[in-house]
Amino acid sequence: MPQWHDATAAVDVTEGEPLGCLVDGVPVALFRLGDTVFALHNVCSHGQARLSEGFVEADCVECPLHQGLVDIRTGEPRSAPITDPVRSYQTRLVGDRVEVSL
Amino acid sequence: MYASSETFVVIGGGQAGAWIARTLRAEGFDGRVVLIGEEPHWPYERPPLSKAFLQGVADAESVTLLGAAQAEAARIECWRGTRVVSIDRAERHVACVDGREIGYDKLFLATGGRVRTLPGLEGLRSARIHTLRTQADALRLRAALTAGSSLLVLGGGWIGLEVAATARGMGCAVTMLEAAPRLCARTMPGVVSDYLLRLHQSQGVTVLTGIGVTGLSEEESGVAATVDTGELLRADHALIGIGIVPNTSLAVACGLPVANGIVADVQSRTSDPDIFAAGDVASHPSGFAGVALRLESWANAQSQAIVAAKAALGRADRYDDIPWFWSDQYTANLQMLGLPDRGSEIVARGAPEKGSGCWLMLREDGTAAGAVAVNAPRELRTLRKMFADGRLPVLSAWADTTIPLQRLPTAPPVVGAGLA
Repeated sequence: MPQWHDATAAVDVTEGEPLGCLVDGVPVALFRLGDTVFALHNVCSHGQARLSEGFVEADCVECPLHQGLVDIRTGEPRSAPITDPVRSYQTRLVGDRVEVSL
Repeated sequence: MYASSETFVVIGGGQAGAWIARTLRAEGFDGRVVLIGEEPHWPYERPPLSKAFLQGVADAESVTLLGAAQAEAARIECWRGTRVVSIDRAERHVACVDGREIGYDKLFLATGGRVRTLPGLEGLRSARIHTLRTQADALRLRAALTAGSSLLVLGGGWIGLEVAATARGMGCAVTMLEAAPRLCARTMPGVVSDYLLRLHQSQGVTVLTGIGVTGLSEEESGVAATVDTGELLRADHALIGIGIVPNTSLAVACGLPVANGIVADVQSRTSDPDIFAAGDVASHPSGFAGVALRLESWANAQSQAIVAAKAALGRADRYDDIPWFWSDQYTANLQMLGLPDRGSEIVARGAPEKGSGCWLMLREDGTAAGAVAVNAPRELRTLRKMFADGRLPVLSAWADTTIPLQRLPTAPPVVGAGLA
């Protein structure tokens, strides 16, 4: 059974601006692509960078330290130097809140 | 075993070598891949060696780029702890110091560099005198940096500065000697040198510029450096960080053109169509600089290596990235773009000299020379995109932080930009 945790207000997650937050103590980066909010672990799988400080490029987030690309929807690596996936979490909207399943 | 009967051999087990091997597989090469490296370790990333790894907060596994399991899964044979001693281009085979030999269809030279030694002190060996290039070097230096000990850093370049910062964080007293009148003088303009000087002074480093070292020796309980003012400086340990020399001897011996580094084209190909060169050892044409460059950066090693691997497989990719590298010192993240020292005009956004902002450097003809960001990765990234398009921000807007980065007006491309 997925365990859902409240993350933030849906309006706080805007297109092109990742949002970092702690969800039940876990660092999570939230991204909005159109109507959908996606959640990734907030630490890049390559270096010790926060993806919430990264840059959104189409469907990817670019790591602010080393310019590696990660697919926002899946956490899959899309360019060097990232080779391991970043953990991706399910999200859902409950009223005006975003919830994340850790 | 393999669908292809071809064998591709990579000489060098660092950042460039590992990315060549890995890219060959990612691009579908189905022949034999052999990577030959001198160090006993699996290929790893070097940037942490002067920072988190040196401090002991990052372990060997966290810096590993291509570990045993990954190599096995990708069917990359890693010959570790051995060294190629000769390349026979006519027979297309290489020989190692341990007697192993292997034939190649394509060969990659990613032999990197070795630390430069102080003139006159080439043969110096001492438990208290350090250099920093490998994990073994870093472990040895780490053991020396006990709280309360003192370190003499010879060389005020990036390695010296990063080690000084890490050593301060570990509780060591640090004195830095730089022969040039200012820090990072080879690659940075004066404003950046001034910032770095103040940064390190504010963290308690004694920085002495314009001071040459004429002698260095181990004493009973420390090291002593004689400097050209006649003074004698003592410390528990010394680090020599005065740059690297590219490992070009194999290339020279087999007749490949070498000019500063191994001469490679935009596809990382040498004058021999079956031999490629990438990373610290390779010199490549730079459209941005208008001249050939040999860069010693992580990004260059990675990106040039990827292009080399793709080119060997017949892809059309070209390596023409604008130079980019970074340095972390204390809590400052510095990012450098282009060739900042080639600028004659400098326009700041924010207050980089106070630890948050970005300098934009312009050449005399008004085109982009480079940029240096201090704790301002977004600013640098914005410029990177603009430079790549041959554009620049309108300077008055760039200097005005009330105008958001996303809405900076850009000046139209200058004809001839990047070719000056």
